[in-house]
Amino acid sequence: MTDEPKDIPSLEKRERLAGAKVGDRRVRIVRPGGGQFKKTHGHYVATERIFAEGRGLAGLWQRTVRLLVGRRLTTEAEGEERVPVATGLPILASDNISSSAYATEEAMRVLAIAGAAALSLTMPIAIAVVGVLAIVVLSESRVIRAYPNGGGSYLVARENHGTIAGLVAAAALLIDYILTVAVSTAAGVAAISSFVPAVHDVRVPVSLALIALITVGNLRGVREAGLLFAAPTYAYMVAMFGLIGFGLFRVVSGGAIEAAAPPEPFPPTGTEALTMFLVLRAFASGSVGLTGSEAVANGVPSFRKPETRNATITLVLMGTIFATVFLGITFLATRIGVVPDAHELETVNSLLTRSIVGDGSPWYYFVQIATAVILLLAANTGFTGFPRLASVLANDRFMPRHFADMGSRLAFNSGILFLAIVAGAVLAAFDGSVTALVPLYTIGVFLAFTLSQSGLVRRWLRERGRGWRASVVINSVGTLVTGVVLVVVAITKFAFGAWMVILVLPIIVWLLWSVHRHYRDVEDMLVLPSLTAAVPTVPQPVVIVPVSRIDRAAAQALAFARSISPHVKAVHIHTSRESGERFNERWQRFAPEIKLDLLESPYRSLLQPLLRYIDAVDKSDDRPITVVISEFVPAHWWEWILHSQTAVRLKAALLFRPNTIVIDVPYHPEDSADLVRGPD
Amino acid sequence: MQAKRVLVALAGTSADPDVINVAVSLAKPVKGEVIAVHVVEVPWHLALDAVLDAELDRGEELLDEAARVAEQAGMRIETELLQAREAAAAIVDTASEKKVDLIVIGMPFRRRMGRVYVGRTVQNVYVGAHCAVLAYRQESPE
Repeated sequence: MTDEPKDIPSLEKRERLAGAKVGDRRVRIVRPGGGQFKKTHGHYVATERIFAEGRGLAGLWQRTVRLLVGRRLTTEAEGEERVPVATGLPILASDNISSSAYATEEAMRVLAIAGAAALSLTMPIAIAVVGVLAIVVLSESRVIRAYPNGGGSYLVARENHGTIAGLVAAAALLIDYILTVAVSTAAGVAAISSFVPAVHDVRVPVSLALIALITVGNLRGVREAGLLFAAPTYAYMVAMFGLIGFGLFRVVSGGAIEAAAPPEPFPPTGTEALTMFLVLRAFASGSVGLTGSEAVANGVPSFRKPETRNATITLVLMGTIFATVFLGITFLATRIGVVPDAHELETVNSLLTRSIVGDGSPWYYFVQIATAVILLLAANTGFTGFPRLASVLANDRFMPRHFADMGSRLAFNSGILFLAIVAGAVLAAFDGSVTALVPLYTIGVFLAFTLSQSGLVRRWLRERGRGWRASVVINSVGTLVTGVVLVVVAITKFAFGAWMVILVLPIIVWLLWSVHRHYRDVEDMLVLPSLTAAVPTVPQPVVIVPVSRIDRAAAQALAFARSISPHVKAVHIHTSRESGERFNERWQRFAPEIKLDLLESPYRSLLQPLLRYIDAVDKSDDRPITVVISEFVPAHWWEWILHSQTAVRLKAALLFRPNTIVIDVPYHPEDSADLVRGPD
Repeated sequence: MQAKRVLVALAGTSADPDVINVAVSLAKPVKGEVIAVHVVEVPWHLALDAVLDAELDRGEELLDEAARVAEQAGMRIETELLQAREAAAAIVDTASEKKVDLIVIGMPFRRRMGRVYVGRTVQNVYVGAHCAVLAYRQESPE
């Protein structure tokens, strides 16, 4: 080897070789990376080869993960992972669109308590809900325009009302996304159990299995999740538009439609008087249809360029589709005179379909299956929203940092897995009951809406840009309407379970704030006063090498210790004077130049005398202390139990000791070449 | 003749996969070894060990591709990336150093002035090598 030019890359080895003739020299270039690194624009880029699949159990696990999740994607592929409107609609709007399947029924069920005559109020309530949705869509389109990087209500509230309001909005949305997953899965499974009654008894395990399936779909990345969920969403739209179109045709053409009777209809006289509170409760229940409409504004970065435009188009499409299906179903149900079932044995949707297309028609089954599938897949909106919001919060240091890390498929894996676990736990805790879960729902959404709408009003008033007056009016109306709905929902649903959300919300806000405080404290501790300050110089440390036996592992650790400092002390703990003397005798033959301290431990304890010895050295010497631990690493994981793991216990004990550097020198049995190597 | 150790010189032309397959078909039946070599020719105005990242990256890529082709044909091969003033001399010297029995060198079908063009490197390897040399010319496209 001769001296090399200074710009030789550090992962490259060059050998100059002589040729047969004087002028025929050649340079052999060895790139030890073996294709694991590529050099581009003066720096190394890791290639897919660094993920070489292991053998045995580890390899099997890696292959299974790749099979389930798919090939790794590079960060540059993120643009390709973004979705157009056609895929964005099923990903981000399926929750809202699917609500149209049960929003009518939810309102009707409350009104039916006051008797059949009260059901005529369903249509005005539906119009009011759609009116609120129109205001929400209009207001949310302003959010998309003002905050194109996503984050939605959290960012708007935080920037305009302050951190605490932002955290309240974030906590409300996080809760709501978890509930979206739990409620949608439970509702989907309930729809299946209408067909297959046997499912009812195993609804929790079936729901958990479905959550696992959606989780895997999401771990494969946003685009693939969209492709997976696109077909059912469009199938539902075709089914419902077909049903409504045919129903309207039959109404207009003057044919009398006979309402299908449910197994156990509500009594026509009613059990309660029709009060304002009952009407408001019906409105609050119908408002369940507005959940999921914030997902588009939160997920703007999931869209292809131009993101803002695509997100707005998706938002408007979502609102139009929901309104059409919801109003269509409500109009037909009230016109035909469908009465809901008192014990949820059959859905209004099913009754209406039977009334229009008749029992046993293929279209009936198509509508029912499409409804069941879209209800299940609406859970995916939670999976799109939660990880993205968690990543925004993690970037702002309000959630643990790994929520901001993208996985091998550019999905936020931590957020997806966390959501799956929590939603699964909530679902299991409520025994998979939709009725028990629904009251917890919607309050979070309306709280977030109210905060973001009022936040935007403050923003427009502050900035006074072009068209600010119109924006102030739109968002003020939005604030008022969503605020009123929030109060109505909170009051009417409080006793039915909304109190739990009201209780949990401040706890989550406090947790988010505590995480932030921790990160801020750590940053204060770690920040450098200036980048130009020189890297400090420390004196050479006193190196302590605990030696239990004189062997190859100990020799390697001592050799390494001597390479970092001339002040090396070996320490041996023995249980009797005789064994200590024997050890010392061997030591004097092995390494007489290295000072050996012998510690007798009559109580046979190993760790405590060693820790106290380190304390004593620390007190008697001003230099920093470094402990070099030799560790034998067995060839197979199951051989670990055959070794006492003193090194691991010592490392754990020293981890929290201040001013102590612990260096582990592992010794692998298969590694016949010692760490101590001479020059090549 | 048994080709136990075969050196394949790769220039990054369309003939490369054919040359690798020829070398593997000769070495595999006798449980021999194949060493694929690519030489980056360094211009005289640069130092012999100048850092030529683009050329080395390309060389590494075509050697990786050769290893892949060989693996498909059922053989693991050794690869070597070199820098030299003249490719032929480096190929011949590496062949001597590695004590190979045969050098396989390929050339795409090219014409110059109406005649098939062999190229300087192929000619010089043919003339300079101490071991046997097999020159593989791609078939004519006509």
